Amino acid sequence: MNTPRTQSQGREFAGTPGRALSQHVIAEIRELPGRFPQPRSAVMPALDLAQEELGYLTPDAMTEVAEALNLDAGYVEGVATFYSLFHMQPIGKHRFYLCTNLSCTLRGANELVDHVKKAIGVSEPGELSKDGLFSYEGVECLGACEYAPMARLDHRYHYDLTAEKVDALIEERRSPRPHLTSPHGGEGPAARPARKPRAPRKKKADG
Amino acid sequence: MAELRGSHGEANGNVLTRHFGTRDLHKIDVYESKGGYTALRKALLEMEPAAITNEVKTSGLRGRGGAGFATGVKWSFIKRDTPEPKYVVINADESEPGTAKDRYILENSPHMVLEGIMIAAYAVGANQAWIYIRGEYDEPYRMLMEAIGEARDKGYLGPKPMGKDFPLDIRVYRGHGAYICGEETALLESLEGKRAQPRSRPPFPAVKGAWGRPTLLNNVETLATVPAIINMGGAEYAKLGTEKSPGTRLLTVSGNVKRPGVYEVELGATFRQVIFDLAGGPPDGRKVKVFWPGGSSAPVLPESMLDTTTDMEALAAAKSMGGSGGVIVMDDSHCVVRAAYRLLQFYAHESCGKCTPCRIGGDWAVRMYERVLANDGSQVELDNLRRVSDALQNGRCLCGLGDSAGWVIDSTFRHFYSEYEDHALRHECNAGKVMTSA
Repeated sequence: MNTPRTQSQGREFAGTPGRALSQHVIAEIRELPGRFPQPRSAVMPALDLAQEELGYLTPDAMTEVAEALNLDAGYVEGVATFYSLFHMQPIGKHRFYLCTNLSCTLRGANELVDHVKKAIGVSEPGELSKDGLFSYEGVECLGACEYAPMARLDHRYHYDLTAEKVDALIEERRSPRPHLTSPHGGEGPAARPARKPRAPRKKKADG
Repeated sequence: MAELRGSHGEANGNVLTRHFGTRDLHKIDVYESKGGYTALRKALLEMEPAAITNEVKTSGLRGRGGAGFATGVKWSFIKRDTPEPKYVVINADESEPGTAKDRYILENSPHMVLEGIMIAAYAVGANQAWIYIRGEYDEPYRMLMEAIGEARDKGYLGPKPMGKDFPLDIRVYRGHGAYICGEETALLESLEGKRAQPRSRPPFPAVKGAWGRPTLLNNVETLATVPAIINMGGAEYAKLGTEKSPGTRLLTVSGNVKRPGVYEVELGATFRQVIFDLAGGPPDGRKVKVFWPGGSSAPVLPESMLDTTTDMEALAAAKSMGGSGGVIVMDDSHCVVRAAYRLLQFYAHESCGKCTPCRIGGDWAVRMYERVLANDGSQVELDNLRRVSDALQNGRCLCGLGDSAGWVIDSTFRHFYSEYEDHALRHECNAGKVMTSA
């Protein structure tokens, strides 16, 4: 896999030269195995933390996760590549996960996909918009069929989508008004992946 | 929360959804003001574990996740009085296309799910429960975490729930996007930190489940029904629905209907009632062409079979199944072949790759569909589709995913073969679209 080594961007924050993941993330990952009956169960929560820091999973990050959990790097990569919510490439700051399964397709999901492509200026799934902010992916049923067509964007479901609603979602994110920016995502448009772990959400990840 | 689309309120014998729509029902105080946690109190303080399991057996409740196995019987497979740790694992990895009812329950009444879990855990002697929730369910996850926090603060979860000397804990594990995790043994593999590939059975999870321990696996809706059964009594619950499929269940009605939603129906209602009376029927000027009665994996039924009833026996007789209760309705402006193609893409994409017929067969079928839909087809493609469909079914794979893919081909062939012939032999389509995935 030929992934660009953009993790160097992480250094300014992490203060750990030559490492993909910052010390505090590694420390958090080392604590995860104790929360499960068997330590191996920590692999996906650990990959979550890595992905939250970098925006996607680089080979180095997966290796560091493996080291922190005493697992084989190949094993960790094998798990990561099995699941569609782990990304091996940058996904931009906002990814539209557009449901394209039957219930949504019967209510215009394909037209919506075409519209999103045009609106963010990309020609295929996974491709980053020029400003690095957006990408999209057609996904399987997201379990909100009574609100079709729908999509997941920024950890929220968006219902009864129309071209106009999509435009509004994009516009809000291109020129965020101050009160709309999240505490950890307030820096302007940039291709930089989100770097700060969303600590409160993850802290509780194992209940 | 978004506008509620589906059953709520006291009407029509709503058992699960009776209090849905109540402001702040997700808060423990409101839930308790509506009678919440009385079933748990009764179970813990007044009932023997075996009596709880018997009550569920008496109710005739059948699993609402897809397979429809008798819930009480499943509970009785766990040997309660062994010293080793046991687990209850809740399948909240709802991802069967056309199914949104577990999300509906979790968003409306997370405490109802927790209460059901706690009762089940006590009945089978498990001190620890794990909810495996699909990763995309951000809002239900947040609500569950909040509800678990409230239940801990109240002492319902903890060393002595309601004063009973039986420690209880519930934790949540988030999935990461894999349809196959809805299959119970694949879910367990995933929970253990592995690629989600189904296990060979036996041993069954009741003997050797999560982390090698006896494990009860139930769907969200199944467990959410348990408090009602304890409250009203199994015999009373069994009066609802039909004799062999008692009770109510939540049907997600989606696709070409005027009022898509999650509707609670007494089993035995007809699909005509569900699709027309509850969901408003197809758009004006359109007719129902075909519907999937239980998620995309349930073999399709044509318009002429709208009077089929929703109980599992009637659906089996119609060569389909109740599955996950996802009723997908497609009107006559859409093409069955294209819809089947879209679903085959889904099954090919979601195959975990462990069993050869499913790993290879899905892709073969997709290629046949592509040729047919590109007006490049002939009888050869149709024959190949039939062959692939046969190869996917009848226990040739470890889990049901292969069967499901085969059933899509099989059932659309059974009811709509002329549309296939239109496409493959005459290179024409009698109706509309439903295009490929993007």
